[in-house]
Amino acid sequence: MKKVYFLLAALAGLVFLANTSRVKPAKYGMAVGTPEIRSISGLAFGPDGVLLVGDSKSATVFAIDTKDAAANANAQPTEIKNIDQKIAALLGTDAANISIQDIAVNPVSKNIYCGVQSADGTPVLLKITGDKIEAVNTKNVPFSSLALNNAPAEDAKDKRGNSVRVAAISDIGFADGKVLVSGLSGQEFNSTFRSISFPFANKQDQSTLEIYHAAHGKYETLAPIRTFTIAEIKGKKYLVASYTCTPLVLFPMDELKPGTHVKGRTVAEMGSGNSPIDMVTVSKGGESFLMMANSSRPVFKVKYKSIEAYQGALTTPVVESFATAGVDFVSLPVTNVIQMDKLDDSRMIIVQRRSNGSLDLWTSSERYL
Amino acid sequence: MVRLANISGLTFFVCLISCRQKSADQTITIQWKNEQAVAVAIPGTFTADIPQDSVSELITINIAEQENPVGILGSFEQKESGLLFTPMIPFTRGMRYDVRIRGRRGGGFEIPENNAGNAPSVTAIYPSADTLPENLLKIYLHFDQPMRERMSGKYVKLVKNRRDTIDGAFLDLQPELWNPERTVLTLWLDPGRIKRDLQPNKRLGAPMQGGSHYQLIVSQAWTDVRGRKLAKSFQKAFITVGKDSLSPQPSQWKLESPSATTKNALKIGFKEPLDHSLLQEVFTVHDSNGAKVAGQWQVDKAEMQCRFIPNAAWKSGNYKLLIETRLEDLAGNNLIRPFDRDITQKSKPVTTEIIELPFTVD
Repeated sequence: MKKVYFLLAALAGLVFLANTSRVKPAKYGMAVGTPEIRSISGLAFGPDGVLLVGDSKSATVFAIDTKDAAANANAQPTEIKNIDQKIAALLGTDAANISIQDIAVNPVSKNIYCGVQSADGTPVLLKITGDKIEAVNTKNVPFSSLALNNAPAEDAKDKRGNSVRVAAISDIGFADGKVLVSGLSGQEFNSTFRSISFPFANKQDQSTLEIYHAAHGKYETLAPIRTFTIAEIKGKKYLVASYTCTPLVLFPMDELKPGTHVKGRTVAEMGSGNSPIDMVTVSKGGESFLMMANSSRPVFKVKYKSIEAYQGALTTPVVESFATAGVDFVSLPVTNVIQMDKLDDSRMIIVQRRSNGSLDLWTSSERYL
Repeated sequence: MVRLANISGLTFFVCLISCRQKSADQTITIQWKNEQAVAVAIPGTFTADIPQDSVSELITINIAEQENPVGILGSFEQKESGLLFTPMIPFTRGMRYDVRIRGRRGGGFEIPENNAGNAPSVTAIYPSADTLPENLLKIYLHFDQPMRERMSGKYVKLVKNRRDTIDGAFLDLQPELWNPERTVLTLWLDPGRIKRDLQPNKRLGAPMQGGSHYQLIVSQAWTDVRGRKLAKSFQKAFITVGKDSLSPQPSQWKLESPSATTKNALKIGFKEPLDHSLLQEVFTVHDSNGAKVAGQWQVDKAEMQCRFIPNAAWKSGNYKLLIETRLEDLAGNNLIRPFDRDITQKSKPVTTEIIELPFTVD
């Protein structure tokens, strides 16, 4: 009996030692390991330098503690010309063999994280500090992950034994302690929007929302969300979403609850043959703006004031001239932006294909606001 | 010999340009996996005077003939065969690389072009019918090899009446919609142009018009992840008929019940082609106790019919076919909601997720 006590005491001692000297209790329910990221579809930052990686191929969201959490209140502007060639050289290949999937600025350290995919599909995570580009270590790091629901059923396989499920994470974000994920399905023309509490719970506490947005004329249009941002309008938080076929729609955040069908309001129609790429909310002199990069249009700037003002007009069920009305926006003299994220309140990091063909990363100044 | 190169994990030797003796301990060895050069082993003769702890600083691998050589990102590991360098992404076919010790070139290697293995092919294009509605929403391309992404805009064209390439027919989606294996791609005909009254529809009109000839052409230049081009270009010709704005009606479907004690197929005829990809997912057969009947689903007759072949012989009794209402026809109308609904017409909203069709096995 004594021996058992001894053993227990020894064990307790060991556990105590392990807790104090070596392994700090991992933050946010994370465990140390190597996340098996199969693709990088979207990047965003959670709290304290936690990087969120949306992986379409494995239908999973990874949260990785980058430990890059030293506050940087005074971020210097970054400019890297021919960033695709520079990344390609670091990866030992041609620029034609890589694509930049997404960028996300760490809001704490202001370092830029960049998801790259090579031609064979290998995902690579890079960190940009000033003009230095380095690999982000994903081996033996604290991380947690959450598999998105609606994963394909085991028997949903075609004759060759491949999964036929075609789906992608179109955007990922973080607001009010929730990881927000919008998804596209290749099979059904609709939208899934998930709000997942973070730290990830064992029980999948997530909601799947199918979102309609109000018709312009008299036809209801159900469509998938391409990109989104969160903004405060008149003291209320809204999901500002942009769509693959009809842009800008507002949804009150407090109405996005599990299993609900929320009708959003279309506030602007921003042109044809175009797909929105990224949206951010920035501000200058107390006024805030929605900035939106597009596949075949310049960057648009929308005043949140105009969106607020529009609210009154939209209380009537259907506005007759809705298709041509909508919130006014300004087209900035910045075209072919392929990636955009917020650096601080008034500046953005932009990856742009210049007219001379060069793909440059640069920092926008306040003059665009 | 060609076959040999196809074996995954095959290792072969590339002689150093500067090698004096052709002995194994002086050659840089390329390590292969799935026809990709995933690592190189640098022999000990290169690294003899390098302290273990400064390997990653003193040895660099870079693309050959660069003006300002940049060390490739990757990891070093000491192995019996030498120092193993694994780059973050596999080395690229047809490119040459240098190994530098303390900044000076010590040797090099080349990754040969991939001439082994089969060229990839388009194995199927869905919908497979040759008469399609003008408001067709989706086209599925099936390949027999994982393909390079972000290429569809460049290599897939829709041509009208053998003459005019239709600009912006497909939605430019980033990311493209691939299955996890990257062998199935979904292309959407721009939904903004199909839906009535939206700006794209008003300005540009629908991408396709009824009563016309169309060809979908997939260029041979598209490469798979191994860098191999398609064996040939692929095309699908079809003609368009009028708009389909109606939801499929399961009550109108024809169920052909199998006989008891056989493993004959339950056949479901839809009287119109439905979405190939969703047909693989939305059906379940339940017996009278509500238990799922295990078996295989097959889609045939140009997506106008599905067949269910049970794993075990049918027992006589009552069964139910469960259908998820997200099943769509070729124009994106699902079982409970047309793609493009006129909200001024009051119709009773249906929210059910499953529709049941009973059948009996005798």
